[in-house]
Amino acid sequence: MHARAMDDYAAVIAMLNHTWFGAELAPETQERLAKLGNIQDFEVDEVILHEGNDTRAMGVLVSGRLALRTLVPERGPVTILSVEPGDIFGWSAVLTDAQAQSTVVATEASRALVIDGVRLRAALKEDHALAASLYPQILNAVARRLRATRLQLLDLFAR
Amino acid sequence: MITNPVPGPTAVARQWFLARSDLDALIQALRKAGRTVIGPTVRDGAIVNDEIQSAADLPAGIRDEQAAGRYRLAERSDDRVFGYTVGPTPWKRFTFPPNLPIATAHLSGGFGFEQPHITAPQLAFLGVRACEIAALGMQDRVFLGSPFTDEDFRARRKAALIVAVQCTTCSSTCFCSSMGTGPEVRNGYDILLTEIDEGFVVQAGSPAGAAIVAHLPTRRPTHAETGAAVDSVEAVRTQIGEPLPIAGIDRRLQHQLDNPRWGIVAERCVECGNCTMACPTCFCTSVTERSDMEGRTATTERQWDSCFDVNFAKVAGGDFRARPRDRYRQWLMHKFSTWMDQFGSFGCVGCGRCITWCPVRIDVREELQVIAPVIQPVERPVAVEPVAASPGDFSIARLASVRQETEDTTTLSLTDMDPAFLAGRPGQFVMVALPAFPAVPISISRFHSNGIDLTIRAVGATSTALVNLHPGAKVGVRGPLGTFWPIEDAFGRHAVVVAGGVGLSPLHGLVEALVANRDRFESVSLYYGSRTPEDQLFRDDLATWSAGKAIDVAVTVDRAGPEWKGRVGVVTTLFDMMSCDCSRITAFVVGPERMMQASVQSLISKGVPPERIHVSMERHMECGIGLCGHCQTGRYFVCKDGPVFSLSELGDLYVREGI
Repeated sequence: MHARAMDDYAAVIAMLNHTWFGAELAPETQERLAKLGNIQDFEVDEVILHEGNDTRAMGVLVSGRLALRTLVPERGPVTILSVEPGDIFGWSAVLTDAQAQSTVVATEASRALVIDGVRLRAALKEDHALAASLYPQILNAVARRLRATRLQLLDLFAR
Repeated sequence: MITNPVPGPTAVARQWFLARSDLDALIQALRKAGRTVIGPTVRDGAIVNDEIQSAADLPAGIRDEQAAGRYRLAERSDDRVFGYTVGPTPWKRFTFPPNLPIATAHLSGGFGFEQPHITAPQLAFLGVRACEIAALGMQDRVFLGSPFTDEDFRARRKAALIVAVQCTTCSSTCFCSSMGTGPEVRNGYDILLTEIDEGFVVQAGSPAGAAIVAHLPTRRPTHAETGAAVDSVEAVRTQIGEPLPIAGIDRRLQHQLDNPRWGIVAERCVECGNCTMACPTCFCTSVTERSDMEGRTATTERQWDSCFDVNFAKVAGGDFRARPRDRYRQWLMHKFSTWMDQFGSFGCVGCGRCITWCPVRIDVREELQVIAPVIQPVERPVAVEPVAASPGDFSIARLASVRQETEDTTTLSLTDMDPAFLAGRPGQFVMVALPAFPAVPISISRFHSNGIDLTIRAVGATSTALVNLHPGAKVGVRGPLGTFWPIEDAFGRHAVVVAGGVGLSPLHGLVEALVANRDRFESVSLYYGSRTPEDQLFRDDLATWSAGKAIDVAVTVDRAGPEWKGRVGVVTTLFDMMSCDCSRITAFVVGPERMMQASVQSLISKGVPPERIHVSMERHMECGIGLCGHCQTGRYFVCKDGPVFSLSELGDLYVREGI
């Protein structure tokens, strides 16, 4: 992982604006997130988060691809979802003491805006305007994932 | 023998009088003319239509008492022989037999399909009522008036002489006047009898009828006798009462798919199928295969079936009309709504048999009144004329090559086939048959210069047998059938193809056409989801299309191991890649029904117009020409009006449970 603190917030905001998640946030929220987080690059096969560990950061994937994997006994790791540019990972970092439900692995060289969970929660607690802007979009991302998971549960293509 | 089965205005015809004591002369004249006489006779506590030898077999002095769920015989105070209404035997039993061989396959060297030699018995139907003549006319439209002609029916119908009888009594279940089919017999008969106290006023309606009447001991009727005949029929109309508000009910019903009454009536319905068996117009059938023990001859037989049967709309993956309410709605809506789309008339003649013989006293008149308020009309889609001749008819094609696509899916390349197949278009399908296996519908996945590809997932007996064939084998094919992808609808627009699982098969030919005509579209995108990477079809083609850059290809899988580096997630997640003006998208969608539903919802939410979203529907298809009834979806027959529909055509019918 290569973390880079970027003073050029405008560049970070531009990256956010190229994601469906970031583009719908208020400009003030985009700027706040740019200042709260930092841009990180991940190499192929780099594990970003281990299943069961504390979720310490939330990320918005700017480029590349991540895989969310769950370990299934006797089957090994199963990829249940890929995170594509514009989507988020580690969203449970907005909750206190949350554990990761899956392992996050980079399957391509990837870049993300990563925001520390402690700083994010503190900011959301003190800045209600930020919370009012960010929470609905996080909920939107979670809802998308929930809808997709329901369809996967149906195993539509089963024989 | 009937010359004009379509009821028309009453012609001024010559009349005779035949004494009741001389009625046997009519029966014997018919027999002497070489006909077996089928007429009313008492058996098992009912007046049924069966072979009779003489007038002594007729139900003299017997009347019937009918009400919802009730049928009883009682004595009349006179000796009239037609003093009842209609019994449980529809005349279709003799023109459209309950069980009929329609094809035989022989294995000798190669194999071939033969259709049986048609021999129709010379019958005389005695005692046919106005509603029943109308029912025969409806069956004429079903079997003779569509692109498909049932030659067995034609022969039986032509060989039957109709001796009609005017109704001079009615039951509480009769509603012929509501359906415009009675009570007067106006046409469609060879001989017409109106029973009065002393005998019958007789009319001839055809030369054959006149020839029979000429041999009877008749005289000219008196004015009193002809007047009595007219009055007795008019009295029946009065007795039946005010007609039901039937006009427009076909359109009104189409807006009542969710009416809670369907569930209420279904709680009473025991799905015995009596209504469909007693109905004089129901014509749904199923086909079964029967092989000899040597495996050299297989016979295809057609049997009456009922849309109330739990398996009637079943496919390998489930049942499209799983609930009793779905099956009741299918039956009633076919009779009073979608029959109109199919044949231009109602499918009910108002004989009341379905009411009388319903063991739980469901009265269709009452259900119609409760279910159908006023609604807006719906436009009909334009259907493509099928090339097929008849359900038992297949031409032979040779299997040129076999390619395994996935563990359970195989592509068969057929060649040496009728050139008509090569004129098909992407989205159409063929019925494929092997001896001793029921024919199955298979989408055409590719058109070659000398044949077609069929990509088949082995899920049943026929499909498993097909994928196990070797090059050089012969298969029976019929088609191309159904509607096709309207590629023109995407000219100048963004063409988006959404496929799930084996749904890529009916879209494969479309993608090839989009690639071949790439300049005509603003952009072309293929979004394809499958269960696992190993379940992806046409992997070579996917790679070629991706590499060619002519179209954007994005694939995803529902689950994968760590070796898979591509997308994981349902196909709708791929829509995030759409960066164009979605109102300018024309989409083509195929996959499991629930996947299509999610895709369509997502496309609409992004602003894709419903009329620009085209889907291909899977249903239980047997005949391929919109007759057998298995694939009926509301007012559409998926095999004939589909399988490709736009969302706006389907309207409320799309992904609706139980249709």
